[in-house]
Amino acid sequence: MMPFLARRTAALVAAVLLASFTVFLIPYMTPGDTVRKIIRSRVAGEVIDDSAVEALSLQLGLNDPLWAQYLRWLGRLLTGDMGLSYTSRTPVADQVLPALWITLSLVVLALGTAGALSVVLGVTAALQEGRPADKVITAVTQAFIAVPEYWLAPLLVLAFALQLSALPSAGWEGPQSAVLPVAVLALRPTSYFTSAVREGILEALGAEHVVAARSRGVSHLQTVAKHVIPNGLLPLTTLVAVWFAGLLGGSVIVEVIFAIPGMGRLLFDGVLNSDIPLAQGAVVVVVGLAVVLTTAADLVHGLLNPQIRMSHA
Amino acid sequence: MRFSLPSSLSLGLVALISLSGCGFSGSSAGATQAAKADQRIVVDNFRAPVANWALESDAAYILSLSGCLETLTRYDEAQGKIVPLLATEWKQVSPLEWDFTIRGGVKFQDGSALSADAVAGSLQKVLAAAVPARAFNPKVVTGVKAVDDRTVRVSTPTESPLVPYRLASVNTGILAPAAFKGDTVDPFGHCTGPFEPVSEKPKQSLTLDRNEAYWGGEVQLAGAEVRFITDGATRAAQVQTGEADVSLSIPVSGLPGLESDASVKVLKSDSPRTATLYMNNGRAPFDDVDFRKAVRSALDLDALAASVYEGAAVAASGPFAPSEPWAVKGSVTPKQDLEGARKLLATAGYTADRPLEVIAIVERAEFADVATVIQEDLKAVGIPVKIQTKEYAAAEPDLLAGNYDMVLSQRNRLIDIADPIGFLTADYTCDGTYNLSHFCNKDYDATIAKAATTADADERYRLYAEAGQILQEQAVNVWLVNEQAIDAVRADLQAHVQDPLSRYVVRAETAKP
Repeated sequence: MMPFLARRTAALVAAVLLASFTVFLIPYMTPGDTVRKIIRSRVAGEVIDDSAVEALSLQLGLNDPLWAQYLRWLGRLLTGDMGLSYTSRTPVADQVLPALWITLSLVVLALGTAGALSVVLGVTAALQEGRPADKVITAVTQAFIAVPEYWLAPLLVLAFALQLSALPSAGWEGPQSAVLPVAVLALRPTSYFTSAVREGILEALGAEHVVAARSRGVSHLQTVAKHVIPNGLLPLTTLVAVWFAGLLGGSVIVEVIFAIPGMGRLLFDGVLNSDIPLAQGAVVVVVGLAVVLTTAADLVHGLLNPQIRMSHA
Repeated sequence: MRFSLPSSLSLGLVALISLSGCGFSGSSAGATQAAKADQRIVVDNFRAPVANWALESDAAYILSLSGCLETLTRYDEAQGKIVPLLATEWKQVSPLEWDFTIRGGVKFQDGSALSADAVAGSLQKVLAAAVPARAFNPKVVTGVKAVDDRTVRVSTPTESPLVPYRLASVNTGILAPAAFKGDTVDPFGHCTGPFEPVSEKPKQSLTLDRNEAYWGGEVQLAGAEVRFITDGATRAAQVQTGEADVSLSIPVSGLPGLESDASVKVLKSDSPRTATLYMNNGRAPFDDVDFRKAVRSALDLDALAASVYEGAAVAASGPFAPSEPWAVKGSVTPKQDLEGARKLLATAGYTADRPLEVIAIVERAEFADVATVIQEDLKAVGIPVKIQTKEYAAAEPDLLAGNYDMVLSQRNRLIDIADPIGFLTADYTCDGTYNLSHFCNKDYDATIAKAATTADADERYRLYAEAGQILQEQAVNVWLVNEQAIDAVRADLQAHVQDPLSRYVVRAETAKP
């Protein structure tokens, strides 16, 4: 077990370092003069004085070689300092932490909703395999996979905020304001999870120990509850971890449409304003969390399934 | 309605509310119910503050539209002139110096008095900014100092009649000395306006309460919340649901729903932006005026305004909107004339030896469709066109260096001050710092140089029109459509006046039943 843990930890550190270097480079690879873009984000308008460009470059250390800038950034990052935002001039960490809390709340609520729904739908579909209930659930969830957030979000606003006046159309004020964004974020994972749960349950239903239990005369309900559902839901753990990581970075559209000040909005503002430290801070936290989560899911899976652990030994 | 403003300001406001000309239409009437003093309103704005409230940044717009920040002077669109605000009068005391008399009896929201020293200190902070404000920077203002208790002197490097215009820019808003601590700016409790900011939710909203001691008279609303909502569709939805009382900058796609809703008023006015097909006058075939005129004749601007802009923009008749006081008199929208265009192409000796390239800037989503319409129109007269989409920042170096054929872009003519001198100088003079067209004409330069030192506004505007005439005659660019500023307000909002530049939204007289 220890070598397995050590290897996974080493891989984790390497992945985070590689991700940090990639994240650092991204803003420098976008076309256009970064300093001009920063100035334009502070003062709208197109005429930019060269002397202002030079002064700001010096002030921000952007004339230094790229490697020096990276080492400086990484060194600060290791001490928890993400630098100062170019636009707000406040510590990036002060903006990232509250935003992260909001996005985590959104993602946990969305995945919780998706998980609960998918267990109900997936188990029902599997136990009713081939019957109308299975066909309807499968068709509807497959259709929802293709629904993009930028289409669904305005539709829900139209229905629940505009027509029914039941929910706020935007903002982050109390539980009511979370309903629509959570619904939008939960839709696609629900579709994928339902499909996975259905397949998992069907597979478990055909497993030897389940067949044996049935042949011993154990009731169908008991067999399903004790043997089928626990095994059938195992693939869900990895899926949830992967979707957790995906939603952390993929909540941009939802956060912009619903004016939610989370990580997605932070990233959007950082990119829009060429606020390099803000964009880098937001991405590095999201990527770091994603790597940690997927590694954790791997470890959990390895602990639950010795075959995986052995195959990596 | 109760007003107790100084007479000059009252007159200005009355004129402002009653007139609808000069691109300043859209007052929302409907004041049939009595306003209540405990009402608050919500304003959805499209941008959040940047640069930690630094006055030289665009954050000044948010402080100004919220009713917090006030300037020494203010440009009154209805009257077409600069009117007093925190300064009661001003005069040019020497060719390079202007004296402003500071209004007496005004207090900042923290209780300290508005003095010449406080004003000078606030303006000096803006002048010393690392990223300078467009309207007020060391290139155009050399210094600010308090001459006595009530007089502030502003010095310029060259004689300029536009100093009072510069002091109307929101970037020159005045904050109390306590607002400046080191490099940070704290507007909370440090403005002079009718509303005092009391709390901020970063990236979400700014909450303001009535300033009970406002120097300009009684404030009708108990307070306001300015929300920062990037998505245009969300802003449109919020004013329909009643979550917002005012939503600024409504996208065209949101108009049909709003215009059919009786509880909402859609306000439109000419904005100082004209979507323009820039042509590189510095290289063939655009270095031939007949070729440029042929391009102009080939385009159907009315159809463009009706189709791509869905009626939310007006076909342009030249570089200015017709409602602007410096518009070229008698200008009409060029009509599509395909036969005329072909003749002009023949005169220019044009041979379609290579496809011309038009760059559509991605920041303006509609430009991709505009480029397609232009491509079709030019194809009809035998000009092959390729379309390229680019981020503006990526295209800028080539545009400034003259390595392009055509680009679709737009500029705010009044972005720095309420006068187009900066735009006309930067964009079209031979040494202009933003001369994307690479146009150079001695008559034009002489006209602009004369305008820059002409104090009389009417005469200056006449010179601008003369310069505009040269640009049109030379077909420097094709000015496609004048864009409209579109805001939506709840129908019961009282005394709201649309400002096409979104500088003044929550005002002392704004009321709600």
